[in-house]
Amino acid sequence: MSAPVAITGAAAVTPAGEVPLDALPDAVQGRALRGERMTQLALAAAGPALSAAGLAVCEGPPRPEVGVVLGTAFGCFLTNVEYQRRLAEGGIGAASPRLFAATVSNAAAGELAIAYRLGGPSVTVSAGAASGLVALGHAAELVRAGRVRAIVAGGLDALGDAVLEWMRDGGLDPGVPATEAAAVLVLETAGSARARGASILGTIEGHAAGFEPRGGESQGLAAAVARALGDAGVPPADIELVVSGAGPGAARAEDEALRAALGGLAPRRIRPKLARGEAFGAAGPLGLLAAFAEAARGAAVLVTDVCASGHVAALVGRVGDGA
Amino acid sequence: MITGCGVVSPLGVGVRAFWEGLVAGRSAVAAIEGFPADDLTPRAAAEVRAPGFADPDRAGAFALRAASEAVAAARLEGVLPTRIGIALGTTLGGMRIFEAWCPGGRGSSGLERIPYFAPAVRLARALGCCGPVATTQLACASGTHAVALAAEWVRTGQADAVLAGGTDLLCRFVVSGFNALRATAEVARPFDRDRRGLVLGEGAAVVVVEAEEHARRRGASVRARILGLGAAADAVHMTAPDREGHGAARAMSAALADAALPPEAVDFVSAHGTGTPYNDAMEAVALGRVFGQRRVPIDSIKGAIGHTLGAAGAFEVVVCTETLASGVIPPTAGLAHVDPACAALDLVHGTARTARVDVALSTSSGFAGTNAALVLGRE
Repeated sequence: MSAPVAITGAAAVTPAGEVPLDALPDAVQGRALRGERMTQLALAAAGPALSAAGLAVCEGPPRPEVGVVLGTAFGCFLTNVEYQRRLAEGGIGAASPRLFAATVSNAAAGELAIAYRLGGPSVTVSAGAASGLVALGHAAELVRAGRVRAIVAGGLDALGDAVLEWMRDGGLDPGVPATEAAAVLVLETAGSARARGASILGTIEGHAAGFEPRGGESQGLAAAVARALGDAGVPPADIELVVSGAGPGAARAEDEALRAALGGLAPRRIRPKLARGEAFGAAGPLGLLAAFAEAARGAAVLVTDVCASGHVAALVGRVGDGA
Repeated sequence: MITGCGVVSPLGVGVRAFWEGLVAGRSAVAAIEGFPADDLTPRAAAEVRAPGFADPDRAGAFALRAASEAVAAARLEGVLPTRIGIALGTTLGGMRIFEAWCPGGRGSSGLERIPYFAPAVRLARALGCCGPVATTQLACASGTHAVALAAEWVRTGQADAVLAGGTDLLCRFVVSGFNALRATAEVARPFDRDRRGLVLGEGAAVVVVEAEEHARRRGASVRARILGLGAAADAVHMTAPDREGHGAARAMSAALADAALPPEAVDFVSAHGTGTPYNDAMEAVALGRVFGQRRVPIDSIKGAIGHTLGAAGAFEVVVCTETLASGVIPPTAGLAHVDPACAALDLVHGTARTARVDVALSTSSGFAGTNAALVLGRE
């Protein structure tokens, strides 16, 4: 069992069309408008999350004690498509150095670090539609290990025709419509949050990632849920709400995994993905925010991420400050 | 700890071929043959020319071959797949397939087409892994942080053993991009006064990162210890490194603090050393911030195998492991005349050097201002 990590800020955007940037400070807005769509999504969610946590700083030297971990399934895919399109159409002379520089999936994290003066670890992870919970888990460990005082953590994916087409061809059909979103939390130790008088929305108490090497099986998720519960020191009977990450195609395997890991118990389960759609990197953090909205203060919640790629993850949280 | 290593490199397939080439000071840089490159300037790169990788998913094939060697070296067969994870860094993944597919939606179908997590998925499926599987995306520091993430998983009990490393490939997409940025040259000369830019390379390096008790229990021999890890953002510029070297210095200092070691304990540094004017100058400043006036033996492998991007840091972990085990520091291929701006550094070049190396440090920096460092110790 490891120490809980406090969540002191959270924000999500699910733009249908232009990314909402009005609430950002002028300098950040300018940076967002010059950036690719992933950068816009990251800034649109992280800015308000940092403001809510009271940690939005846009000037001065980088803060070594504040870092960022983002999860994304497709990363800079859309930028790659644009760079490659120009290269294919215009030849070598049309290769754009500006676009190429953004064909790294960590570009959004880098822009975020510059905009909000984050000098700590800047990490981007990819684990399909489980990227968001994998990012939250890694960020929680950076906090627990004392490597950062606070960390911006969450997930995002930008969508466009090319991504949708690739998904169809690539066998990644989640069974629900794809949806574009970014969801970002601010994590810190409970001690640090209390010391500076920040209000705590909830906590991350345990997490784990896993993999299903064979389609239709549930052993990886069952093991991940069990490890997350063990990490949290929360017995299955204490879980009051499960936020399911499985689309329709993976629902049966998820049922099996939960039955195995929860010892046959069947706590209340919600499936926001069926209504909202598959948000890939943002799915897990959105699921945790849905749990905070649904469950009572003090309740332990379990969130899962399941992807057709085989990636799975589980996270155990608690609503409120635990006081 | 590290209990096995595997490599597919431009100097050869397998740790032995890679290491012997490095120690001999050989460079695998030559004119590109693997894909149409007549219109590319410069057109030099360090390609993997060994047979057996004519695979549409080249980066995945590299990773699979390197992982097989690492698994065999660690004698990991028989370990429960539910307790094995995969942490793999890459910047390009299935990019050659993507080039054929895009634009226009042609080409083969499949998960490997581009998404960066495809090589890790291929590895996980091949090995039947049920433990944590993730792809680190820190541009040219991806491989370094993959090993750091693996160490975290092992330390926190998420897995007993993790296959960790990096893989990347050469293709028109990446060579044209670095050329457009005017970052490339025909020869890589890390820390040389005449350096003009980096030369790209390809390959994969995978190590088995394992919990100490787990390794001991099954009688595995330990090749090296992971003592500390650190990461930090420049938060200065998206493509150019921070000229003041603050981010890289923070990552190295964090790794040393994590290892609870003073800078004086470090016997060898595997530098990022890309051979671009800016990177190497930045690194000299950053190394000065960490080590002060002390002259630590330093090398860069990028003159030998080029800049392998997401695999680069993982190759360096293998170099550190071999150096710790053998006391041999390979020379920096391509370095003939040390840049006066780097004169404070003890750059190993010309011929390999023998020294007692108990602690090694590897540092990597990437686009978007990300830095990562690892401290490794001798068993």
